[in-house]
Amino acid sequence: MRVPLSWLRDFVDVDLAPEALAERLTLLGMEVKGIERWGAAWRSVVVGELLTVERHPRADRLSLTTVTVGSGEPLHIVCGATNIAPGQRVPVALPGAILPGDRRIERTEKMGIASEGMLCSGDELELTTDADGILILPADTPLGADLSELYGDVVLDVDVKPNRGDALSLIGLAREVAAATGAPLRVPTVELAEVDPGVADRLRVVVEEPALCTRFVGRIVSGVTGGPSPDRVQMRLRAAGMRPVSNVVDATNYVMLETGKPTHAFDASAIHDATIVVRRARAGERLETLDHVVRELDAETLVIADPRGPLAIAGVMGGAASEVTDATTEVVIESAIFDPVSIRRTGQRYALRSEASQRFEKGQDVPTARIGADRVAGLVAAWAGGRVLRGRVDTDPVEPGPSRVAFRPARVDRLLGTSLSADEQALLLARVGIETEPAPAAAVIPVAAGDDPLAVSVDGGDARVALVPTWRRDIEIEADIIEEIARVRGYETVPARRPETQMPAYRPSPLAVRDAVREVLVGAGLVEVVTHALVAPASLDQLAWPDDGDLPSVEVRSGGPVVTVRNPLAAQHSVLRQHVVPSLLDVLATNERHGRSRVAIFEVGKGYAKDTDGPREWWRLAFVLGGAADPAAWSRVERPYDLDDAKAILELVAERLSLRAPSFVPDQRGAPFHPGRAAAVTATIGDTGGPAAPGFVTRPGAIAVVGHVAELHPDVLAAWDLRAVRVLAAEVAIVGLGGGTLAAPMARPLSRVPSVERDLAVVVREDVPAGVVASTASRAAGELLRDLRLFDVYRGAPLATDEKSLAIRLVLQAPDRTLTDDEVDAVVRSVTDGLSVDLGARLRT
Amino acid sequence: MDLETMTAQLERLRADALVAVEGAADAAALEQVHVSFLGRKGAITEILRGIAGLDAADRPRIGAVANDVRGAVEAAAVVRDEALRAAELESRLAAETVDVTTPGRRVARGSRHPIAETVAAIDEVFGRFGFVVHEGPEIEDDVTNFQMLNIPADHPARDLWATLYVDIDDHLLRTHTSPGQIRVMRETRPPIRALLPGRCFRYEAVDASHAFEFFQVEGLMVDEGTSLADLRGLLDEFAHALFGAARATRFRPGYYPFTEPSVAFDVECVVCDGGGCPACGRTGWMTILGAGMVHPVVLRYGGIDPERYQGFAFGMGVERIAMLRHGVHDLRLFMENDLRFLEQFR
Ligand SMILES: [Zn+2]
Repeated sequence: MRVPLSWLRDFVDVDLAPEALAERLTLLGMEVKGIERWGAAWRSVVVGELLTVERHPRADRLSLTTVTVGSGEPLHIVCGATNIAPGQRVPVALPGAILPGDRRIERTEKMGIASEGMLCSGDELELTTDADGILILPADTPLGADLSELYGDVVLDVDVKPNRGDALSLIGLAREVAAATGAPLRVPTVELAEVDPGVADRLRVVVEEPALCTRFVGRIVSGVTGGPSPDRVQMRLRAAGMRPVSNVVDATNYVMLETGKPTHAFDASAIHDATIVVRRARAGERLETLDHVVRELDAETLVIADPRGPLAIAGVMGGAASEVTDATTEVVIESAIFDPVSIRRTGQRYALRSEASQRFEKGQDVPTARIGADRVAGLVAAWAGGRVLRGRVDTDPVEPGPSRVAFRPARVDRLLGTSLSADEQALLLARVGIETEPAPAAAVIPVAAGDDPLAVSVDGGDARVALVPTWRRDIEIEADIIEEIARVRGYETVPARRPETQMPAYRPSPLAVRDAVREVLVGAGLVEVVTHALVAPASLDQLAWPDDGDLPSVEVRSGGPVVTVRNPLAAQHSVLRQHVVPSLLDVLATNERHGRSRVAIFEVGKGYAKDTDGPREWWRLAFVLGGAADPAAWSRVERPYDLDDAKAILELVAERLSLRAPSFVPDQRGAPFHPGRAAAVTATIGDTGGPAAPGFVTRPGAIAVVGHVAELHPDVLAAWDLRAVRVLAAEVAIVGLGGGTLAAPMARPLSRVPSVERDLAVVVREDVPAGVVASTASRAAGELLRDLRLFDVYRGAPLATDEKSLAIRLVLQAPDRTLTDDEVDAVVRSVTDGLSVDLGARLRT
Repeated sequence: MDLETMTAQLERLRADALVAVEGAADAAALEQVHVSFLGRKGAITEILRGIAGLDAADRPRIGAVANDVRGAVEAAAVVRDEALRAAELESRLAAETVDVTTPGRRVARGSRHPIAETVAAIDEVFGRFGFVVHEGPEIEDDVTNFQMLNIPADHPARDLWATLYVDIDDHLLRTHTSPGQIRVMRETRPPIRALLPGRCFRYEAVDASHAFEFFQVEGLMVDEGTSLADLRGLLDEFAHALFGAARATRFRPGYYPFTEPSVAFDVECVVCDGGGCPACGRTGWMTILGAGMVHPVVLRYGGIDPERYQGFAFGMGVERIAMLRHGVHDLRLFMENDLRFLEQFR
């Protein structure tokens, strides 16, 4: 709501500087978002008086004028307007002046005659809409005065919250100013000079939908002459952000801004049979609205109609056929109260949200239906001439009094943490027009309103009753009264305390696993990113990362029908993603464009799908590696990331979560993976603790990490237009990622007996995975095996071309004794036999 | 050979050996000297071969002389050996001099995203006051996101949350973390101190201070006597923890349908320290969160008796807090994931 201070002063004195007033209003809950100096765009525009006006010798349409601005020589100014005459006072832009839109006025020559400045129209000053004529100022305007001093204004931009429809008006805000400053409020009463015949003889109103139109007040002004409204009015409307239209329309807008009551003016001659019907539209009915769009109406739409058909969409927009024009001689003023929900829905259905409909949506102060009609009638008569016909049509002239809301002064203190007496509370409420009185013996306190209201009965001695004015429709329950007391007193007076109430029971953070995983990835050199959950539909198909499918569930299952946004902002953010890796590839591409070649990033993010019983969301860890694992430095050469780096990160994660070393099984599906460099990964819970999450089995040996790690197929890199030659990616589910805990690892006693190391060189066929050799050897080694590590791979002579030699180190140890050579030899034999039998391996000697 | 001759030979040998020891240039030369004088085939042994020709009475005497010579040469060799070792170490160390001004060998280290880091910072403060983390779904139902928060359908307050709807009946992308209040109240009993971080969505065009995806942290505290004064005290602690103990705060009325009274909480502008600048609209204040006493209707939807219990809730934009903490002026940077930006938060 834009509030010109000059207009506000009609209703309340304001002695404060604009900044100070803005702060007071803000602290009262009427937040001032901005302070605008209206007319601040005018520089060197002063009041002048026309001395002479003559025709330009070489151009019929131009006049030569001499103008005095009070001091100095008269100025010679060439002017194109025709509404000027000697003796008039007009705005003069002196050479060097600046007008709105940063228009600079200089000494010029027009058709061979010098012009020392410019006479301004209202439009050039953005004061009125008149672009043709020069703005003629009142004769008593002081000569030479700076126009910005005279007509400049300060406009406050007040953020009126949706519950305070009453403050979408100058009078409403004046009430707040009065409450904030203590200055008296002046609400003008309307006195009309009425003439016969009475409105009741000239207008019939039938409300067929009393639930949707609870009151309809009609008035008529006869004998009007269309034209512009007074300059001062146009200036106020503009300052308040509305476009001046005509005297009659401006009167309705002026009253809406002043009182918060939207009204509508009809050309009486367009109302057939002088009968207005408020009803639902009928199927098939159409109406051309003021914006000259023909709209199909439906039965949900409330219309103002005459016996022939709809004239206006009630509360939202008038119709073109009944619009007031310069030819209009008689005006019917509608000042009605409509159902807020009906207006809101209609506005949304037709995508028409007007200043009027926004006020109707928030509910209307019932008496303003009468006040608004009277005020508009008075202004129309004053600005457009004409006579106000006697009386009104009013479908519900009985106006409600204040509503009664009982409250407990002790509750006020309990909720606010203050200690205010009931009298202090009453004084504070009085500042916003809420009187109080003693409660009846059995007082009923409204605790909650709405569909399921709650009221409690208390002893009247513990309660007071607040008499809430009709315009404060937001105050319904005890808590509303409490807020009002706090607001008027100033939230700044609420004490600051540290809570002394009971502590809740301990509850572990559900973020433990997620945070542990993040810490590992950061430590491993990866940068955490946060990407959009909303992605382009095409990106879902661009990378066929495998869904969980038959994989064991350790988090919420992935995959399923895609969730689509019904009202997306843009196509590229219209569906919810199902995998995180594609988003990471986008980040990789973006950073490559910035000249980065090394990109190691991760995100712990969600995927989304819909099932028949509702939405499903799951958490995944995803990371992407591209470029150099070890960037070149003065002391070393560059080494690019490869699959082993990606696997090592998963091994670190498993270690941090106290899992057993992950196992990698070749995944040869091909795209989106490199067919020879992809693996399904699983890791199981170890014997000493690990993650736990509700709904998942987490005993030792249970699977706790499952997913895929791969070098991406070159086609994928091409699809993302990546420069990197190789990109590694992983996406895994981890128990507890979506909310879980980590058990503390249990320590094993250190063995006091020495361990024995034996190295074996095992020759196997090329297609036997090292992981299989390791697991076979582990099994065969038995319980004396402490550790088994692959430390070299050899290919070449004297091996056959389809053979490779894997160097394995066995670490053997008994818990209680030093192993004898015989025992060690037995284990080694068992391992070599096992490898030989199961894998056809032989020892290289 | 007689005693005198032999003694003289040994003494001459002592003199020669001491010169040779002293002259040994390195460990190998010294070893050579050692062997040639003291070895099994060395000079001393050679001389002592003539011992058989001596009188039996002279033999012990020449033996004593030989031992004395041997001992002297051994001692000299030890001293020389130590000197040579010291010199060798010194020259090796000298040869190993490096240019200490070259940069260190970097170990790659990643960084947490500033949004995650800010959530952790918020959690850290409220965690110390007993607040525990809860989480709710991002695809929320209309009832929990709006209606149970006292925002009925067709209520003008809905305009405060431009909503993205999804193709699941009565579901939407949560517009705030506030529906978590309902979930926490339904899952637990007072006393409640809960913190709800998470991703939110709005139908909002992107600019330097708006995004259609963003993060919030919601707080909820409910007990028998929890008051607005408790809220103010706690928010002061929070503001001081994140923005400095000297930073002034301001408590003023706000509006949310799910709180009554509602609060807007400001801190002294972190750019101008309250003097007034473009960043704070020349007011000297910056709003960092909204809050208020939980509306009785919301308590009831949460299954809590508003006559017995009362409490407060607050909600803040994580990006907003992160921008103020880290001096970031454009919210879009957080989701652009330019590594040049992110790596500043190591
Ligand atoms: Zn500032």
